[in-house]
Amino acid sequence: MDFDAAIRLTEILLALAFVQQSVEHLYGPKAEQRLFLVRLILSILLLIGLSTQWICVVLFINGIFILKRFQGPYNGGSDRMSLLILSCLCLIHFMPTLYLKEFVFAYLALQVILSYWLSGFFKIINPEWWSGQVLKDLFCFSAFPASENLRSLADYPKILCLASWAVIVFELLFPLIVLSQEILVMGLFVSLVFHLANTYLLGFNRFLWVWLAAYPSLIWLQQYLMTNFSH
Amino acid sequence: MPSPRIEITLSKTEEESYDWQEFCLRPKQLSTLDILKSIFFNARWNESLFITDCAERLILDPTEYNKQEIVNRIKFELERRGLDLKMTPYLQFRLIFVTSHGTKLQGDILYVSKIEKIFGDQD
Repeated sequence: MDFDAAIRLTEILLALAFVQQSVEHLYGPKAEQRLFLVRLILSILLLIGLSTQWICVVLFINGIFILKRFQGPYNGGSDRMSLLILSCLCLIHFMPTLYLKEFVFAYLALQVILSYWLSGFFKIINPEWWSGQVLKDLFCFSAFPASENLRSLADYPKILCLASWAVIVFELLFPLIVLSQEILVMGLFVSLVFHLANTYLLGFNRFLWVWLAAYPSLIWLQQYLMTNFSH
Repeated sequence: MPSPRIEITLSKTEEESYDWQEFCLRPKQLSTLDILKSIFFNARWNESLFITDCAERLILDPTEYNKQEIVNRIKFELERRGLDLKMTPYLQFRLIFVTSHGTKLQGDILYVSKIEKIFGDQD
């Protein structure tokens, strides 16, 4: 995937993520509908591909107003990641040279890789993750299980311990995706399954769409590194 | 990590009512169709996550914004459920933070709101 195609795909996937979020908010309280109606219209324009550099800037400003409206992110990490992608797109559009544009896109890819790796790192230094206790507490009494019957998963400590280690290993090994196309495909497939599982178990649907929008940067970075640095 | 629960009580008058009920947007179970739908549209659940976030923020940073956001979303949800708030226009909510001690769960009440009129003329 060449650089321009990767940028365009990022725009399309981010636009879809914003459409998905905006439609959800149009169903919510009136006070926030106006901001998301604006975001919906802008996202459709970004999807079509009209003056994308300016649409990205206006979407960024819209994002600042949304942050102000909710006194911070509405949906935690997914809002932070979407703003990061949007900021990088804005910078890329206004950078004077291809080298600087590529530098910003590589920075985005690095942040995405770190989003998994750091998450895995903080899990592996926490002994409660080793035993599966964190997942047990999560299903037993936290506010996160997407349905009441999922709380019964807390009764399966062995499965939760195995799931904990599966998540830790996946997140810590994620940076290896840059090494080859095969590992990249496998890594992105596993991360897709991971986000789908999070949507099913914890209702984190926005994370799925937003992280998906960051994947073109990973695909591009892996190809770039292989082309420029492999022997 | 302590996990917040929101309990509410609705009353006819400004007198305190002790009939606390958990305010929860979590469904008992989800069908396969619900799960598939939730990938594309999960507005109510994302609202629930935001209210949880506001509850945590209210304890760490007790601002009027966080309190009002919880009240507004409780009101919005009650109206969405078709509840006639004319009969019980006064709302009070409290935040209980649940922690586990071995096999036992313990809830500590960390915040109790003032009674507020959420329907009709606000005082």
